Amino acid sequence: MKARSAFGLLLLVVMLGSLAFPGGPVQAQTIKIGHEVALTGPNATWGESEARAVKMAAEKVNAQGGVLGRKLEIIAYDNRADRLEAVNVAKRLVEQDKVVAIIGPAQSGVANAIREVNNSAKVPVIATTATNPKVTVNDDGAVVPYTFRVCFIDPFQGTVAAQFAYRDLKAKTAAILYDVGDEYSQWLGKYFTDAFQKDGGKITTSEAFRSGELDFRAQLGKIKQSNPDVLYIPTMQKEAALSAKQARDLGIKATFMGGDGWGSPDLFDLAGRAIEGSYFVNITALEDPAIQGFIKDYRAKYNEDPVLPNPVLAYDAVLWLVDAMKRAGTTDGEKLKGAMEQTKDLQVLTGKLTIDPKTHNPLNKPAVIQETKGGKFLYVKTFVTSD
Amino acid sequence: MFLQTIITGLSIGSIYALMAVGYSLVFSVLNFSNFAHGAIITLGAYIAWAIMVHYFQVPFLPALLLSIAGAGILAFLNERIAYSTLRRRRAPSLYLMISAMGVAIALQNLLYATIGAKLYALPSVFEQDTFDVGGASLSRMDLFAFVFSVVAIALLHFGLTYTKVGTAIRAASYDMEMVSVLGVNLDMLVAVLFLIAGGLGGMAGVFMGVKYMVYPSMGWITNKAYIGAVIGGLGSLPGAIVGGILLGLLEALVTVTTIGSVHLSTYRDVFSFGTLAILLIVRPTGLFGRLVEEKL
Repeated sequence: MKARSAFGLLLLVVMLGSLAFPGGPVQAQTIKIGHEVALTGPNATWGESEARAVKMAAEKVNAQGGVLGRKLEIIAYDNRADRLEAVNVAKRLVEQDKVVAIIGPAQSGVANAIREVNNSAKVPVIATTATNPKVTVNDDGAVVPYTFRVCFIDPFQGTVAAQFAYRDLKAKTAAILYDVGDEYSQWLGKYFTDAFQKDGGKITTSEAFRSGELDFRAQLGKIKQSNPDVLYIPTMQKEAALSAKQARDLGIKATFMGGDGWGSPDLFDLAGRAIEGSYFVNITALEDPAIQGFIKDYRAKYNEDPVLPNPVLAYDAVLWLVDAMKRAGTTDGEKLKGAMEQTKDLQVLTGKLTIDPKTHNPLNKPAVIQETKGGKFLYVKTFVTSD
Repeated sequence: MFLQTIITGLSIGSIYALMAVGYSLVFSVLNFSNFAHGAIITLGAYIAWAIMVHYFQVPFLPALLLSIAGAGILAFLNERIAYSTLRRRRAPSLYLMISAMGVAIALQNLLYATIGAKLYALPSVFEQDTFDVGGASLSRMDLFAFVFSVVAIALLHFGLTYTKVGTAIRAASYDMEMVSVLGVNLDMLVAVLFLIAGGLGGMAGVFMGVKYMVYPSMGWITNKAYIGAVIGGLGSLPGAIVGGILLGLLEALVTVTTIGSVHLSTYRDVFSFGTLAILLIVRPTGLFGRLVEEKL
C-alpha cells in the first residue's frame, strides 16, 4: 500500500509539473479581419462573390508569409444588407471576435448604420462599394475618423452618368425614378440632376417610390407623359428590373440608365427583354484590362466569373489593410488608421491607390460605362469626366 | 393619364381585395387577425415558382391550381399546428394573434434559411402582355387576375350561401358556441375555412409573383390587405372586396399627386396607415362591418 500511494503521489507530481513546462511550438495568433457582407438577400450575388475574393486575397497574403509574422484570418458574417442586422454583426465582430479591422459593408445606408460601433471601438472599416459621400464625411465637412472606402463616390458617378447621357447619347431631356428610402438612390438622383442641368439638359420629372415598392406604374404614367429621352433609375437591380419592365409595358420609349446598383447578373432574369439596350455606370467591368489577372485566378478557383465590382474592391481593401499594417508595424486601431490615411500610390487591382486623408476616399478612381445587350453586360468605355 | 391611374389602382386593388377576403373570412368566424396569412401567400408564390421554374416546367394554369391547393393545405396545417389547441382552450384572440405572428416570422425565416433570399421571377404568362385601352395600357395578366379573382369570389359567395358547410360557416361567424351546440363539427368547419382562406391567399401569391417577383418578405404586403379589410369592415366579405379595391385606388391616386413640389408618392404609406388609424377611431365597423368589441 505504501509503495502504491507513493507511486500515485509521484505520478501526480509529475503530471502537475509537466503543466509548468508546456512543450511544442506556441501557436502564433492570427490577425482577425472582419467582413460585413450580404450573403443572403437581394444583394447576395455580389456579397457571395465579395466573400470569395476576400478569402482569395487573404490566402495569397498568407502564402507569402502573412503580415507582421502572423497569418490573416477572415471572419465573415451575413448582414443581409439590412441596417439592423449589420449593427449586430459589427458589435459581434468588434466585441466578441475582436477584429482589428472590418471590410465592408457594400451599401451606403448600412455603412452609416454601423458607424457608431466601429468608431467608438476604434476599428477601421473599409466600405467596398458604399458610394454615398456621407459615409466618410459628415455634413459639417469633418471626416468620420474610422470609416474609409475603396470605391468612387456618388457625385462622381452621377456626373459620369449625366455627361454620358448628354454628350454620348445626345439626350436633351431626362426623367428620374428613385427610391426615397435609400440614401444611395436619393443622392445619386440628385447628383445626376445637377450635372445634367449643368450641361444644358432638362429634367422633365423626378418621381419617387418607397423602398420595397413593387408597382411603379403610377409614377411611370407621369414619366411617360413628360416624354424624356432618358430615364435614369439610380436604384438596385430589383427595382430597376421591375420599373424597366413596367415602363416598357406602359409604352415608354426612353433609354434607361442606372448606376453601379444594376450590375448583378440576375438583372436579366428579373427584367427580361425590357432592360436590353440600357446603360449604367460601374466601378469596373469584366473586360477591364487592369483586373484580368484577378479574374483568371478567380475563375480557376471558383469556376465562375466574379460578380463585379464588389470582389475587386474587397480584394483592394485587403491589400490596402495589409500595406497599412506593415507600415504601422502594428494592428492597433489608432496607428492603423493613421497608416491607412497615408496610403500613397499603392498598387492595387484597380490601379494606384492614393487616399485623401481629409475624406478617407481614394483619389482618381475611374468609372466604366456598361451596356446591357443580349443578356450580358458589355463594356462600352472608361469614362473621364470633364467640367 | 387618369385612366391609367385608375387601371393601376384597380390592378393592385384586386390583389389587396383577394388577400383581404381571405383575411376577413378567418376574422369573421374566429375573431382574430390571421397575421400568418401573409406567409401563406408567400408560400403560394414559392410553390408556383417551384413547379413552374425550379423543379418542373408546369404551364401556368395547372400551376396556379396546384398552388391554390398547396396554399390551402398549408393554411390548414397552420391552423392545426398553431391555432387549434388555443382555440379549444378558448384562449383570448390576443394569443391567437401572437401565435399567428410567430408563424409568419418563422415561415419567412425558414424560407431565408432554406431557399435563400434571392429574387425569383415567374415566367411571363402572356407573350404580348399589354394592349391599349383608350390611351392607357392594360396588362393581360392584370385582366386575367381580375377576372379569375371575380370568379373565385363569386364561387365563394355561392358556396357560402347555398352549401351546408357554407351556411355553417356563416352561422359560425355570428356565434361559434351556438353552432357547436347545434351539432356542427367545429374542427371540420375551421379546417374548411382555412382551406378556403389559404386557397385565396395562394391565388393572390401567384398573381403577385407573376406580376412582380417572388421573394421571402413578400408576405408583408398583407398589412395593406388588413387596411383594406378594416376599411370595408372586418368580418364582412363584400366589405373586404370593396375595401381592398378602394385602398388600391387611393394609393394609386396618392402616388401620382404632387402638391407644389412635394411628391405625395413618398407619403403613400402615411396615407394608407393614416386612413386605417382614422377609420378605426371614427367608424370602427368600417363601411359594411358589424360592431365587434375586440379588434385584434
